[in-house]
Amino acid sequence: MNHRLSGLLIPAAAVVAALLIGALMILALGANPVDGYRELFIGAFGSGDALADTAVRAMPLLLVGVGICVAFRAKVINIGGEGQIIAGALVSTVTVLVVPGLPSLILIPLVLVAGMIGGGFWGAIPGALKAYLSVNEILSTIMLNIVAVQIMNYLLRDPLIDPEEIERGTRIPQTERLSENADLPILLDGTRLHLGVVVAVMAAVVAWAFLWRTTIGFKVRAVGQNPAAAGYAGMPVKRMTLLALTYSGAMCGLAGAVLVFGSQSHRLITDGSSAGFTGSAGFNGIVAALFGGLHPLWTIPSSFLFGGLLVGANAMQRAIQIPSALAVGLNGLVVVFVVSSNRIRDRMRQRSELAAAARALARREAEDEQHTDDIGGKVVA
Amino acid sequence: MTTKPRWKLLLALFAVLSVLGAACGDSDDNADDDGGDESVTETEESSDDTETESGDDAAGDGGSSDGIRIAIVAPSAENDLAFTQSIVEGVDALNGVSDVAITPGTFVVEDAATAIRNYADEGYDLVIAHGSQYGGPLQEIAKEFPDTAFAWGTAEDTFGLDNVSSYTAAADEGGYVLGALAASMCSKIGVVGPIAVGDAKLYVDGFTLGAEDNGAEVDVVYTESFSDTQLASETASAFVQNGADCLTGTAQMTVGAIGVAEQEGLLWFGTQSDQTPAAADGVVVANQVYQWEFVLQDLVDDVVAGETGGNIYGITLENSGLAIDFGSVEVTDDMTTVVDDTSAAVIAGEVTTIIDG
Repeated sequence: MNHRLSGLLIPAAAVVAALLIGALMILALGANPVDGYRELFIGAFGSGDALADTAVRAMPLLLVGVGICVAFRAKVINIGGEGQIIAGALVSTVTVLVVPGLPSLILIPLVLVAGMIGGGFWGAIPGALKAYLSVNEILSTIMLNIVAVQIMNYLLRDPLIDPEEIERGTRIPQTERLSENADLPILLDGTRLHLGVVVAVMAAVVAWAFLWRTTIGFKVRAVGQNPAAAGYAGMPVKRMTLLALTYSGAMCGLAGAVLVFGSQSHRLITDGSSAGFTGSAGFNGIVAALFGGLHPLWTIPSSFLFGGLLVGANAMQRAIQIPSALAVGLNGLVVVFVVSSNRIRDRMRQRSELAAAARALARREAEDEQHTDDIGGKVVA
Repeated sequence: MTTKPRWKLLLALFAVLSVLGAACGDSDDNADDDGGDESVTETEESSDDTETESGDDAAGDGGSSDGIRIAIVAPSAENDLAFTQSIVEGVDALNGVSDVAITPGTFVVEDAATAIRNYADEGYDLVIAHGSQYGGPLQEIAKEFPDTAFAWGTAEDTFGLDNVSSYTAAADEGGYVLGALAASMCSKIGVVGPIAVGDAKLYVDGFTLGAEDNGAEVDVVYTESFSDTQLASETASAFVQNGADCLTGTAQMTVGAIGVAEQEGLLWFGTQSDQTPAAADGVVVANQVYQWEFVLQDLVDDVVAGETGGNIYGITLENSGLAIDFGSVEVTDDMTTVVDDTSAAVIAGEVTTIIDG
């Protein structure tokens, strides 16, 4: 198969396969999959409101994905997005509670920076452990997710809890309604599209520029490509590893701040789990980054598409009344099929390249033989 | 790991979705209408007419002559034998309802907020936010839809808004009765609690006091999760290892603990819904069942009459919103006497059912 054609057909086929399996599951539940997928598409992309909801849902995926891109360029794996989102949300929330009266022009940038500081700190911990103590960052980031959740639960049940919850005796783990000066402005009246989406896109562009237009970004990539060679060339390998995870954490922390101040409740709420606040953005962002080829700019459309799948699946669930677990399962199917199709495509490309190399080698040998014959002929002559 | 941009992949994904969208054919103008007409389901008890006129209205209009349209947003599955099932069964038992739509499993508060907003936007007459954690976003969303009735549970706050009603369960009352019953059958009881908030805390308090006032030893552990069934199971196992001969718990994660009770041959006391089907015969002794229809019918009647609410409702033993139903064990006269006498004492206010602080 033509290489270019296969590059399009195989992932398209993977998506279709995932949707077909999803259709079988919907059928098994007694619902109409055509109606379901129509509602999925309309719910994700079928109106201005839907597009706005998709963009809002995509925003944390994009920010986490950008962080993942930077970390992976340094060949470190950040699975701590959930905890870093929470850390960023907590620091930004505390910031607003301390200085609620600042004008929006100051308070909004302040909370976003506070979120980055919180998430960056939470990412720096496993970064330092990895760089200076060779602690496996997969383990440390995952463990720190659990620590962050427990810290959030404690803070939201005691020091940060809404005083009205204490008064009523209900004790729901949430903060009070945070200062309106920190609300992220709505960009389109009548929709939920807020400034956080713009911030996320800008963060992706900045990350691209950081990695490919700055010296320090070059060092990060060099360390990722070959730490030994980078170290031999005098680059600070350990510092770059620490920087990559700190940067990654900062992006996740920024997502946490935007989740709080762009939310519909304008407060930090939990149900006791991390996903109750983050919506699993810390993990879904990894998928978005993979879909985007671990490139910050390509993570923008991949986050949007994946966000659309999440929003559309919820709309489908409401419309045809299938269990919400199926909507979650459908997203998982798409991820599994599309990521698996990469392997098929890569193998086909490898085989194609090997075949091309073999043909080139055969041609070269034939040419060499011909050249030798020519020389031999002239000598004889 | 490869780092080549996946633009072809993204293009392919977008192409597939575009083809699907084109094949589906609905224009944007019709999207809201179709969403309003089709984003419903009818339960077996609802009336036959599922088509309404209000699909393209931004607010409820008091319903058609066949009844009002109700949407429920809840944090767990509609057949969880606990919190969500109680409201689904309650709404199913209401009169004056033409359609019921449910969005279960929305433990992510922001997702629930989106669902609440979308249902209001689609013209549902009454949107029930069945989760204490939904109060924050509901407070903001309700202001944007003044003609839509919202109900929030379990809670006792309407935020001063005329279109928000709230409902709660005096779960401590039934908890006390079950605790007293448990004390007559067991000596050491393990209580698996989720998070110490709302009706969960009330139930645990009431059960603990009812059991301790009648001579039983009670251990309480809050797992800090409403939904982690594995954690509930592990907590129950720990109670068993510590010598518990009866278990109880609340919230949707209790199915994990009920499984342990069945496995270890312990007795279980349930709440929120009838949990008897969750275990084999002889395990579930009794349940405190929430019968929300006893209070929600008033709200539905108000909405049918064109009002939007603004009241606080509570189910109690006295108004029969809380019922103590026996499970699958052999019921003796003594057990019935304990339940009846303790219920009477609770209703009369002769016992304390809530732990302060």
